[in-house]
Amino acid sequence: MTDPRVAFLAIDTQVSIGVQTFDGVPLLESGPDDRYFDYCLEPYRPRRPWRGKLRGENILWQALSCGGALDGMREPLLALQASLGRDMTVWGTKWDGSRLFWEMYVYDPLKEEPAATIASLTRTLQPWLRVAPRVAETVPYVMVSFDLDAAVLARGSLDELNLYLTGEQGHAGRVYKVRDGDAELDNTYRFLSPKRDIAEVLPLLKASLFVDYGDSAMLSKVLIPELFACRRVCVAKKRRCDAVYFSGVSVGQLLYFLRRFTYPAPIVDFVARHQERFEHLLFDVGLDYRQAEDGSIVYPKTSFYGTL
Amino acid sequence: MLTYKGRFDPTRFEDLTVTVDFHCHSACRFCIVQDGMNRFRGVSLERMRQAVEDNVKHRRYRRVCFTGGEVTLEKGLFEYIELARTSGSFEHILVQTNGRLLADDAFTQRLVDAGVDEYFVSLHGHDAATQDHISQRPGSFDEAMRGIANLATRGVCLMTNTVVHSLNVAHLAEIVDTVLPFRPTRMEFWGYLPMGDHADERGLLAPMSEVAPQLRRALARLRGAKTEARVKYVPRCLLGEYADAHDDSQPDVVIAETFYDPYPQFACLYEGTCEHSDTCLGLNHPYIGKLGWEEAALRPTPRTRPFVEPDDGPAIGSDRPGEGMAPSLEHPEWRVLVDGVAERHGARLSSVRLTRRSCVFTFTHGKSSVEFVLKARDEASPALLRTPSFNIQYRSVSGADRDVLTALIRDAVKTIAARDQGDKLLDRRKGLIGEEALRRRARESAR
Repeated sequence: MTDPRVAFLAIDTQVSIGVQTFDGVPLLESGPDDRYFDYCLEPYRPRRPWRGKLRGENILWQALSCGGALDGMREPLLALQASLGRDMTVWGTKWDGSRLFWEMYVYDPLKEEPAATIASLTRTLQPWLRVAPRVAETVPYVMVSFDLDAAVLARGSLDELNLYLTGEQGHAGRVYKVRDGDAELDNTYRFLSPKRDIAEVLPLLKASLFVDYGDSAMLSKVLIPELFACRRVCVAKKRRCDAVYFSGVSVGQLLYFLRRFTYPAPIVDFVARHQERFEHLLFDVGLDYRQAEDGSIVYPKTSFYGTL
Repeated sequence: MLTYKGRFDPTRFEDLTVTVDFHCHSACRFCIVQDGMNRFRGVSLERMRQAVEDNVKHRRYRRVCFTGGEVTLEKGLFEYIELARTSGSFEHILVQTNGRLLADDAFTQRLVDAGVDEYFVSLHGHDAATQDHISQRPGSFDEAMRGIANLATRGVCLMTNTVVHSLNVAHLAEIVDTVLPFRPTRMEFWGYLPMGDHADERGLLAPMSEVAPQLRRALARLRGAKTEARVKYVPRCLLGEYADAHDDSQPDVVIAETFYDPYPQFACLYEGTCEHSDTCLGLNHPYIGKLGWEEAALRPTPRTRPFVEPDDGPAIGSDRPGEGMAPSLEHPEWRVLVDGVAERHGARLSSVRLTRRSCVFTFTHGKSSVEFVLKARDEASPALLRTPSFNIQYRSVSGADRDVLTALIRDAVKTIAARDQGDKLLDRRKGLIGEEALRRRARESAR
């Protein structure tokens, strides 16, 4: 396992050789060893040659900096990256309209990566966080995720883990929120091709407790046309809202998304300024939504994803 | 990931549109070039000369279309026309105009004498009150109608264009009634595209529940008359029995590169399931955002072929008003790049599609096929191999004969590399880029 301090030093070294930085954080350039995965850790071919381009994790670091969480989260995240390998951790940056927060996802669907177990995760994060939930490794989870923000770090304890279980036909599953001695079903989800599977996407979206699709324009507030041209959609049913995710969108679409949902200007400006250098990547974005009492759609939370 | 519908790319590669300049003496409320008027410069005569010389050499284009702004206002227009005419490389010279200056009989005659044989006249109302309200210029309807009358007496090809929006949607059939006595070769109706107002701040988007029946009424009037109908930017399936009038193709262009950036993009919920999705753009994003996907109104035709996400729009051949579609141009000087390759592998070169930015060879072997794509040489783009002129790639491999296709691909790469002399022109860009595209004031503010 690579010592996280070594990884961090490697990044810092680039500052001294003149790599452009923001807020003291170096811009990490793409390299020949980069791997390209979506937020389900499924591989894709980069859209452009990687030379002269930037790694997607730069956007995470910028978002952390913007959210005032960079100092606290840099080391645990680099430790995670060093433990699992580059591009093997999925990060999600989330925005509720006033607050940024993050979720990290670790995949091991075939139970073949010792570093991706909850036990290993617990050890990796131990210098900063105590992982409270106890989960038997015999539980057939394909992924585990956890929320991370300054408050969690200040508390020094991860009180919840999200376990993703599948076993359903097609690409679908359930998410359980697991606490120490407690667990509950949090949401169900299903991945579909937006174009080929539209006959399944529409009824799944419209089978909703939270949105009345009687208004003909309502669907377009959820199945947003600017994001429809993506590789996969994921339709999720949550406890207090519905959600839809668009996987495999371009940096141009990501920028549309960031502006559409009024992400903080430093993040939007950063992506816009370096748009051409993120052209080789695909991103994933998502939105939680429900209908407000006045009939309008509200988005309690939106998110975008990349790999670390 | 954006598909070709997410870009506003040309799909008709035998027509070349040249924007002479961006000025206009009307101020149409729906104008899609309004934001470009004070920003972009037109195509210089020198750039036009390059395009003409390329056409003399390669005969890519049958038609050149001069547009603006209002192109008849441009003092240099006749120089552009002369350049096109004397080259002898274009079968048709078309002018796109609001028709107002054509009210001057002598001016119309001068255009005809100069060699302009096709006229695409905008008419957005059926009477003066409607048209002048839309154009915000009193008298514009009467001028345009006199212009149409002048053209009708000269035996040239007269086509009209009506942009369909909330201000005229109720009068489409009446517009047909107004124009038909002048025996136009074609009448076109284009769904309104919001440009600078993606939230439809101008309130011009009309719902398809109004547009579709009014269009069908208008198209019914044209049926039986010797006038073709064309409809753009309205889903094909909403035209009902007049679906054959649908045509979302766009000519190739020489224009300011960034002009199309704010153009709306398109989508259709049924892109993956409808037989016509490769030629029908669907609905534009601003429309969907405001009025919905129209999922209940659209009537997709079930696909008979598996859906494959296309990299490019369909390459449409020649457009001959009044005569239907002509066969596409042959491109012998491009075909020669791969002559003999297919035969060496018992395969067939089934098509050569030349666009401004690519040349696509399709090879078939039984039920297997592969597309071989040449694009302009570009170190920053992926390529299987770079030759002096090209980045070479292949795509859309299908069928079981992978061994044959693999050998064929290797052979084609070697053959093209050996035959490419570096003299084949494939522009990566649409036209003017950077500062050359901007007017002085826009240039200064950009700095």
